[in-house]
Amino acid sequence: MQEGTTEQELKDRLSLIESMIGEGRRSIETWGWTYVLWGVAYYFAIAWAEWGRSAWAWPVTALIAVIVTVVVASFKAGNHPGTTLGRAIGSVWIALGISMFLLFPALGVSGRLTDQHLFVALMSAILGLANGASALILRWKVQFVCAVVWWVVAVAVCFTTDGQSTILFLVAIFFCQIVFGAYSQIAEAQQRKRRGPIHA
Amino acid sequence: MPELPELNPVVHGRLRLSLLSLLCGVEEAEFTWLRAKTEATDGNLGAQLLKLEEAGYVAVKKKFVLRKPQTLYRITKSGRQALSDYVQALKQLLGTAI
Repeated sequence: MQEGTTEQELKDRLSLIESMIGEGRRSIETWGWTYVLWGVAYYFAIAWAEWGRSAWAWPVTALIAVIVTVVVASFKAGNHPGTTLGRAIGSVWIALGISMFLLFPALGVSGRLTDQHLFVALMSAILGLANGASALILRWKVQFVCAVVWWVVAVAVCFTTDGQSTILFLVAIFFCQIVFGAYSQIAEAQQRKRRGPIHA
Repeated sequence: MPELPELNPVVHGRLRLSLLSLLCGVEEAEFTWLRAKTEATDGNLGAQLLKLEEAGYVAVKKKFVLRKPQTLYRITKSGRQALSDYVQALKQLLGTAI
């Protein structure tokens, strides 16, 4: 053993390195609010489309949610440094957004988006893909569970009635967007509280 | 009997170790971000960053953004190597202690 250094101190140094490197993941968890925002946006769009019978429900809601996300994110970013990990995760979600903004309006305009099951299955599969990729990059089990839920919904809605597919979609949004987003924010706040100041 | 490795004293300090670990995960970081993450005082943080800079483990870049001065730090190749060697030495020491 190093002179004057106890085994506990060495273990403490190792855990300090781990926790500091873990800042990459923690900075991802500060994105929890976007999951909640988009979960609420999905509910709003579903309600508007259902009761308002408007074809603009999804495009308008999604556009507003994008604007809010970009504005809030640019304020929150502040002096946060860029990381390779952050860029990797960001790329997955930006690519998801572009795919959805191209695919769904094209399907809608061409008149091929008449089947509710197809819409829910596509949405769920794409969300499963993004959550799955993000979870595998971050090795984050909770997010991987969300990905599995989305994949299960994507497959299940192919075999259910209209009512059942709506319920499945609403439940998945609740757990994988709103509950997961809130959990991420709480986990981040708790980790910040647990970690005290570091002295020389 | 294999010889036990020495821990690099520049890396071993808690705050300096935190700074190197933080910087190894980002491309470059502002002084204010490092201060927020470590919750260290300006004076202490500046002194420890200077030690790391003198050892050649971090590089400093100063620039102005919207007329405000900004100090950016990034880990150098030798800093990354020093941190990696330190982790190996720690593991080796802990391995012999168990």
